[in-house]
Amino acid sequence: MVVVTPVTTATTVPPDLGFQFRAMASPCEVRIAGLPSTQAQALAQQAIQEVQRIEAKYSRYRADSVVSRLNAAAGQGQALTVDEETAHLLGFADQLFQFSEGLFDITSGILRRAWNFQSHQPPTADQLAALLPLVGWGRVRWSGTRLELPQAGMELDFGGFGKEYAADRVATLLQAQGVRHGLVNLGGDIRVMGPRLDGSAWQLGVQHPRHTGQILANLPLSDGALATSGDYERYLVHEGVRHCHILNPRTGWPVRHWQSVSVTAPACLAAGALSTLAMLQGPGALAFLKAQGVGCLLVDPYGRCHTVTAAA
Amino acid sequence: MSPHHPVQSGDLDSSFDPAASVCPAAASGSAGPVFGGLVMAALALPGVMLASPAQAQTAPEYGTIGFKYLHYQDEQPGLKRIEVSSPSVYVLAPLGKQWSIEGSAVLDDVSGASPRWHSTVSGASRSESYRKAGDVKVTHYTGSAAYSLGAAFSDENDYRSRALSAGASFFSADRNTTYNVGLGLARDRIDGTDGGFLGTSLNRKKNTHELLLGVTQALSRVDMTQFNVTYSNGKGFYSDPYKAFDERPGRREQVALLGRWNHHFEGDGSTLRSSYRLYHDSFKINAHTLGLEWAKPVAGGLTLSPLLRYYSQSAAYFYGDALANPATLPVPAGYVLGSPPLYSTDHRLSAFGALTYGLKAEYKFGADWKLDAKVEKYEQRSNWRMGGSGSPGLADFSATMVQLGVSRRF
Repeated sequence: MVVVTPVTTATTVPPDLGFQFRAMASPCEVRIAGLPSTQAQALAQQAIQEVQRIEAKYSRYRADSVVSRLNAAAGQGQALTVDEETAHLLGFADQLFQFSEGLFDITSGILRRAWNFQSHQPPTADQLAALLPLVGWGRVRWSGTRLELPQAGMELDFGGFGKEYAADRVATLLQAQGVRHGLVNLGGDIRVMGPRLDGSAWQLGVQHPRHTGQILANLPLSDGALATSGDYERYLVHEGVRHCHILNPRTGWPVRHWQSVSVTAPACLAAGALSTLAMLQGPGALAFLKAQGVGCLLVDPYGRCHTVTAAA
Repeated sequence: MSPHHPVQSGDLDSSFDPAASVCPAAASGSAGPVFGGLVMAALALPGVMLASPAQAQTAPEYGTIGFKYLHYQDEQPGLKRIEVSSPSVYVLAPLGKQWSIEGSAVLDDVSGASPRWHSTVSGASRSESYRKAGDVKVTHYTGSAAYSLGAAFSDENDYRSRALSAGASFFSADRNTTYNVGLGLARDRIDGTDGGFLGTSLNRKKNTHELLLGVTQALSRVDMTQFNVTYSNGKGFYSDPYKAFDERPGRREQVALLGRWNHHFEGDGSTLRSSYRLYHDSFKINAHTLGLEWAKPVAGGLTLSPLLRYYSQSAAYFYGDALANPATLPVPAGYVLGSPPLYSTDHRLSAFGALTYGLKAEYKFGADWKLDAKVEKYEQRSNWRMGGSGSPGLADFSATMVQLGVSRRF
């Protein structure tokens, strides 16, 4: 979880306005500085509508979403044609799957049925064994425009990058209308739309993975995005072992290495996907992130911080 | 007369670059960070990042001052003709976030032989003249558009030009599309102060109006296309005051279609700029220009750009071919003094083909400095004309251009 540290709101015009709302099961904020407040309000309204549009389109909790429609057709031997935006997102998911050799898999969300993080009990081997055959993007028939889930019960889940994508879309939408100072924060996935009004960078706080409410580090950002994945958001502790919500699609078991991975990249979609993938990769993630040229802050199993500055 | 640089438009400016400024990784020619494939894949999704024309919507963040020195020399076999030395200065300054002003000044020192008739060597007198020219342009940026007004002047002892221009660019909401419209007008005065062949002094005018419509479209994060239509309509004196038998129409309409496609290669950070221009005018000259330039970042802030341009045109309908006997004056058959038919022997109105090849080196150092050097060689041959033979009897013509520049951002 990433939180924006409090920034005093400028009292002189043009103002620095924050618009809070709730979407995608998270607290969200759009912050717009340097524009008259009526204009900022209208833009914030557009931003919220865009987030709601993406949520309605890709939420697996809504029966009429694109994802639900694709999931409902699983195993019926019928490929469905998807719209262009969905095709781009599926194409990106496909690239993530290929690159990570199956570690990042948008069909793995079904494994969460076996994991109840409210309880203190991990699933049995039988429970997982029943679900694992339904996981495997590699078996999905994907042509670039048409998609078919080959087996009843298989499910797509865009949760791995939906919020991040929405943050980028909103930022682009607002930047295209003249926003030069501000940020979009969708439940801790942050995309910056230019520096603060005085030209200084936004100070983005990265939450401490073991001390709720404490800031581990402040990252100054004037442009680009920051996303964090961690083992502390949803987890259960069983016999002294922490089981978090990031699940390895091959075993069905949670990842066990990094406490948290924060990534800075030009787009939130990249930052979010890379931070999740780094969690899945375990010890090799540092070299992987370095090779991707992004900045990152990783907390290892002993609570030590490892950082890589973005290629410059 | 002003030196006629043989570069027939279709110039490929580097501001029209795909992927420039989308993200540091894609900026060509800089030693910016190189992102991995997954980052680039994310950036490629529509709506995730502003498309590249986006940077044009606000005033530039930095000012630029630059000096350039151009040396031009053209020649025909056995004779060096016009030589031009042009130092110039360019300044661009942002005025707040919504305005910018830019201007340039140039001093041409032109020396050499005045143009020969065809390829004969008769009467190639030496001349020396200066040209002073300058322009200034103010641009206003709103969120979704940019408007500009400009003025330019050019003064020589025998040619004076004043021009005004107005332009507007409109950006689509996603910044992938830019629409451009431009209007220009020029008022020129032509004087033949040293009399010309006929010994009469001239005080003639030429008025030109120009309209440009264009669209720039980002096709992907690495592909940028542009399409422009230019129409100009001029009235006045188009003849060469230094030639006895040079009578051209008093009106000229010109239409040019220009298409450009720039592709950025993410692998090595290079950019290929290609262009095609189709031109037609009421002198019945049809011309084609094909241009290719490849900007390849090498090491340590150095970018090398080889370029190749092919040009071909048909002759003006009143162009008179060179005579078999070069010692004879090129007087057209049926020429009647006092009621001259349209006639010219200017090689620029003949049918020919031409190749330009060159190399540009650009070196960036520190955060703000840039050095550049360019060498271009222009070769013109009658028989290089596309799809047919060119005008007969013309000697080969070639020119060399060397340009050195230094600029600093502030």
